[in-house]
Amino acid sequence: MKKIILTIGTVLVVSFLAMTQTVSAHHSFAMFDVSKEQIVIGRVLRWAFNNPHTWLYIEVEDEQGGTQTWGFEGAAQVHAMRQGVNGNTFTPGEMVKVIMLPLNSGEPAGAMCFVQKQDGSIARPNDGVCNSEERAAVWQENGWLDSDNLTIFEKDPDYM
Amino acid sequence: MITRQFVLKASMLVFLALGIQALGFAQIETLTDRRIGDPEVESPPRNFATAEDHYNFLLEEADGGTQHTMATIPVWDGLWSAGYNSMPSLFLDGGSMAVAMSPGGTVKEGVLTPAYEAQFRARRAEIEEHGEQLYDRLTTCQYPGTARWLWEPYVKEFANTPTQTWMLNDLMNETRRVYINSEHVNIDGKHSATGDSIGFWDNDKLIIWTKWINPADYLRGMPLTSNQLEMVESWEVQLNAEGVRQLITQVTFYDPVGLQSPQSAVYVHTSSPELAEFGARIRNWECSTSSNSYQDETGRTFFYLPGDPEYKDPRGFTDFPDIPGQSLNPMGQ
Repeated sequence: MKKIILTIGTVLVVSFLAMTQTVSAHHSFAMFDVSKEQIVIGRVLRWAFNNPHTWLYIEVEDEQGGTQTWGFEGAAQVHAMRQGVNGNTFTPGEMVKVIMLPLNSGEPAGAMCFVQKQDGSIARPNDGVCNSEERAAVWQENGWLDSDNLTIFEKDPDYM
Repeated sequence: MITRQFVLKASMLVFLALGIQALGFAQIETLTDRRIGDPEVESPPRNFATAEDHYNFLLEEADGGTQHTMATIPVWDGLWSAGYNSMPSLFLDGGSMAVAMSPGGTVKEGVLTPAYEAQFRARRAEIEEHGEQLYDRLTTCQYPGTARWLWEPYVKEFANTPTQTWMLNDLMNETRRVYINSEHVNIDGKHSATGDSIGFWDNDKLIIWTKWINPADYLRGMPLTSNQLEMVESWEVQLNAEGVRQLITQVTFYDPVGLQSPQSAVYVHTSSPELAEFGARIRNWECSTSSNSYQDETGRTFFYLPGDPEYKDPRGFTDFPDIPGQSLNPMGQ
């Protein structure tokens, strides 16, 4: 059931992305699979509030008890600030849930859409690849953020 | 029991509803699509063969220009954001910022010279096929340069003095310097990203002539510019319908290698006091020391990631890790 629900989320993001990519990054978004939204949960290692892009790095535990570093690209500083994010938004060690658009290559990185912080608040450091305000509302309304494990939801392969 | 068919139909209904809402969001968010009240392009008073002819005509019309003092010179203080510009419509039928970097529009024939039009068509075909231009030169920390400087959507500041105007973009720390009532000077023996700019004041309007610019492009998704590009610009503050200060730039591009004839466009910057309220200040732009994007072997933009030998920790670098106080990360981020 969870997989089907997240398939709906995947479909919705496609329609939205076609209309939001006019906000400029300093590179294209061609490396991201914009047809997917995935949730990755872990502890903040580093919040690099940098230009030309901000990056959030988190440590994710796998099922074997090991860890893997994931990185998520966000907007340039000024665009992030316009969305209420600054260099103190994330604290190392904080648990976060990152909703992101994954790399086409499958490597552990992606484009941030929005982040649920440990205190439950939503941070939106995203670039133009995602309408974070709307997508966060959709995820919250559908309870998709209530995952209690370190799960990466994939698009249902039978659907598309 | 909820069937997969039901879920599919329900998802498509929500898909359509949110799509309509999303269109409204996109128009607000980009701040670059033309809205009521945005300025029209003002063509030059007559056709000029060269930027030099155009500039000298305007200088003569202004009786040699207005000699401002620090007490009279226009003040363009505060932080500014790029807004609407008409440039994409020069090269695409139906061109706007909404399609400049995305599929859409049709390449206009006869605007660009054959070599530049062919390259532009190839660029647009790539965008149509992949949804985006797969590699942009800014990926590898190259400078936007003029003419691209006119739109890049970050934060800008402007400082006018009687002898120089400084136009500062936080992107790549790229500053244009305009030498007032001066002649072009090039003791460097080369071109540069922002070229050499001279200007004069016509009352509160700044007229600029820029030349010796590196070959670049008007924007990602837009045509290339040649190393023969020259620009004549006029800059003036106007209040829009909401009483917000806007810097209106009317520009004519002269590029005998890239353009079949000179082309004119208008660009808008909007005063953005809200940025200062956020606490925003222009900092030194870190690119080569922190950016992990690169062009891969397929020609696409990609990233070095933690664990890659080429990966640069954006806060971890130091040549002297054993000496106290050498961390770039003293605040723990």
